[in-house]
Amino acid sequence: MKKVFTLMLVLALALSMIACAAKAPEAAPAAADKVYKVAMVCDSSISDGGWGAACYNAMITAAEAHGWETMYTDNIDVADYVSSIESYCSLGYDMIFLPGNQYSDATKEVAANYPNVMFAVLNGNDQLPTANICSILPNADQIGYLAGGLAGLMTKSNTLGFIGGMELDTTKAKLAGFEKAAKYVNPDANINVLSAYAGSFGDTAKGMELATSMIAEGADVFFGDASAVDSGARQAIDNANGSGEIKVFDIGQPADILGQNPCVICSVVTDNAGMLGLCMDDVQAGTFGNKVVYGTLENGCLSAGKINTDLVPEDVQKAYLAFVESVTKGEFK
Amino acid sequence: MESLFTWNFASEIVLSTFRMATPLLLVALAELYSERAGLVNIGLDGIMSFGALAGFMISYLTGNPFLGILAGALGGVLVNMVYAFCTVTLCAEQTVYGMALNIFAPAISAFIYRVYFGVSSTLAQATLMKTIAIPVLKDIPFIGPLLFNQTPMVYFAYLMVPFTAVFFNRTKAGLSYKSVGEYPKAAETLGINVVRQKYVACIICGLLAGIGGAYLTTCYVNTYSDGIVAGRGFIALSAVIFGHWTGSGVLMACLLFGFCDALQLKLQIISKDTPYQLFQMIPYVCTLAALAIMGAKKAGPKAKGKPYLREER
Repeated sequence: MKKVFTLMLVLALALSMIACAAKAPEAAPAAADKVYKVAMVCDSSISDGGWGAACYNAMITAAEAHGWETMYTDNIDVADYVSSIESYCSLGYDMIFLPGNQYSDATKEVAANYPNVMFAVLNGNDQLPTANICSILPNADQIGYLAGGLAGLMTKSNTLGFIGGMELDTTKAKLAGFEKAAKYVNPDANINVLSAYAGSFGDTAKGMELATSMIAEGADVFFGDASAVDSGARQAIDNANGSGEIKVFDIGQPADILGQNPCVICSVVTDNAGMLGLCMDDVQAGTFGNKVVYGTLENGCLSAGKINTDLVPEDVQKAYLAFVESVTKGEFK
Repeated sequence: MESLFTWNFASEIVLSTFRMATPLLLVALAELYSERAGLVNIGLDGIMSFGALAGFMISYLTGNPFLGILAGALGGVLVNMVYAFCTVTLCAEQTVYGMALNIFAPAISAFIYRVYFGVSSTLAQATLMKTIAIPVLKDIPFIGPLLFNQTPMVYFAYLMVPFTAVFFNRTKAGLSYKSVGEYPKAAETLGINVVRQKYVACIICGLLAGIGGAYLTTCYVNTYSDGIVAGRGFIALSAVIFGHWTGSGVLMACLLFGFCDALQLKLQIISKDTPYQLFQMIPYVCTLAALAIMGAKKAGPKAKGKPYLREER
């Protein structure tokens, strides 16, 4: 019995090796029409319905537009950042896409050894870029403003909720912007922003507990920066609203998620594909590196998503659009 | 901070504690049944994630969370049979195969989810199990509405505790079960089929851990995402050691973890200026403190972690 089992295992292994090997010859393109390749290395899951999914889809969209091949590795630990990135470098990828500033140190380490591979770090800071590293920086302040403006106009209890995954620089900036904008659009109310961190981007249950607690403390408009944790928060909000009138709201990000949950009133949309596409242009033109690609309202890489017209009164919609306009023009910053 | 020590605050903490402790309790009991037969299974996280996926898929497809729980249980058993075959029949190292489950099962769950649902910016949502209030008990002032208006799985988890205590201490079957984990050779001479007993232990372990995973996606949150288990299997593992391998001890340990976690989340919200990392340490600091005070005198089943070779002298 044992022998049969062992033999079967060996056979399965051998077969899978043959299956893999059979594909290998295809992967050698003619030198003339070079097919560019991009890989994404990500610590969260690409099917988290939040950050990971948005970044992965951005890569796919940008790669399709440019005719690039894609590959990804997700759910990796901090300890494996360097080795995962390195393995794509040695496989001959032209560009590595790293969706978050937590990869900055690992990227610097690897980039020094692979001058011919280009690295695009989403949310990387403006000191990061070198000859082969480029930062993609959506304006976190503006993301906070877009959510805070609507939250400040919509709140009845004057208490807002913000749930973060980890205390990243961009998360802190979003929280600060959220609070500032809410106070700006609603100066007479004494607005209080509750904030908490789940300590993870995947623990949906924590998001639910945090939102439940915040609702008990009076929060009635929510914004978050925590991927799958956000979906737990939205579930708690829907539970609190029950089947009656919707009184507690959520603002989504980074894709337009209107309609996903009844409580969603709007989304702050980040066009990562657009920004990544700009990096791909640079790689093809040979002008990559020493550059920060900013994502702002002005260049259209940031925008307010569709507004839930059933829940947001018309005067609030108008006031909000006027506020977005003033942020775009740089009158509010 | 004035909202501390009010009735609302207390009731929220209690509710939150029970919500968070229930999956831990189910999985810790799973480990208890496994270790009582001498099998240390550190693959609980893996079994849970497969249970969570199976539970979610079936609940999503059929709209019936009870079928989801059943699927989670079967999925858990299926995954744990890999562990059972390797450690019981092949007498392989238990820690290695436990770890193998932790790597293999979450990956296959993520794979199945992706193949079926694809990668989109929204997560699929399934139906959650409804809460059922227990007629007379729910009318007890204060604690009634808090404790006796839960999903059936919560009652199941807590009823398992006295059942486990009685089973291991008051029944012949339970004592024979325990003897396999203490001194399998002696058990064999008394006519107990040690190998069969170990397989039974693995089935119970897979069943309960699978249910614990499925609880997350059928009773707690209505979505599945990779990493939903978030290390709960390891906390359950420590709850068993902490609870001295007894049903009631495991219950207390799980409630302590649940309470500390509920407390830290609540404190984060009401005291905004304190760094949140400080609060996130609370559950772990409490564990350390409790272990230091209570000590870990009992070392658990004597033969745990050791493979059993029938022919060996």
